[in-house]
Amino acid sequence: MTENAIRLERTFPHPKEAVWGALTTPELLARWWAAGDIAPVVGHRFTMDMGGWGQQQCEVLTVEPGSAITFTFAEGVLDTTITWQLEATEGGTILHFEHAGFRLDTPMGKQALEGMGNGWPGLLARIDQVLVGVS
Amino acid sequence: MLPDVFGALANPSRRTILDSLREGPLTAGDLTGRLDLSRSTASEHLAVLREAGLIREERQGRNRIYHLEADGLREASNWLKHYEQYWNQRLDALAELLDEENTP
Repeated sequence: MTENAIRLERTFPHPKEAVWGALTTPELLARWWAAGDIAPVVGHRFTMDMGGWGQQQCEVLTVEPGSAITFTFAEGVLDTTITWQLEATEGGTILHFEHAGFRLDTPMGKQALEGMGNGWPGLLARIDQVLVGVS
Repeated sequence: MLPDVFGALANPSRRTILDSLREGPLTAGDLTGRLDLSRSTASEHLAVLREAGLIREERQGRNRIYHLEADGLREASNWLKHYEQYWNQRLDALAELLDEENTP
């Protein structure tokens, strides 16, 4: 049954500290997701550069240092919440990923409903393909 | 006012109603019986689902029969699938970055 959240789980053969660093250090975050001045500090407001969709406003809601961070994502546009939670396991780390709070009455939701595209994921996927072709 | 599909789906009783209707149309009475809810609570849930475009009401004499409207659900789940695919790609990139940065 459909619900308004995406939940993914990934296991990486690396220690928790390494994964935490890749999630919360701007230089590393930019290499796998997008450029933005994230910091694992409650109340920290930052933006993520979503390419053609512009800078998206975020705010850190909760932090468990080295283990978990929750932040709002795309205020006023998508109005969702992202949570990354790490769990140490034998020989690695499990990332519990959640992107929650999708609503069709947000600007991005309306676009999806009116068939005007699915928002920045589609756009960024295309940019990735272009970059692959260039390099 | 746009249909709030996810808001409609947020409630467990409403999800049970939709699950029940997957097997075929049911009357309001059938649904109330299955849900163990009062008549008025059940009809509130049915109204929310109808406004969200997830069910359709048909009148047959004194009975109201409810049908599942799958299109509303499909639209919402397609939207989310797009994000899910996006994040899976990003997490692939994260795996590569971790391997690069942490080679023993």
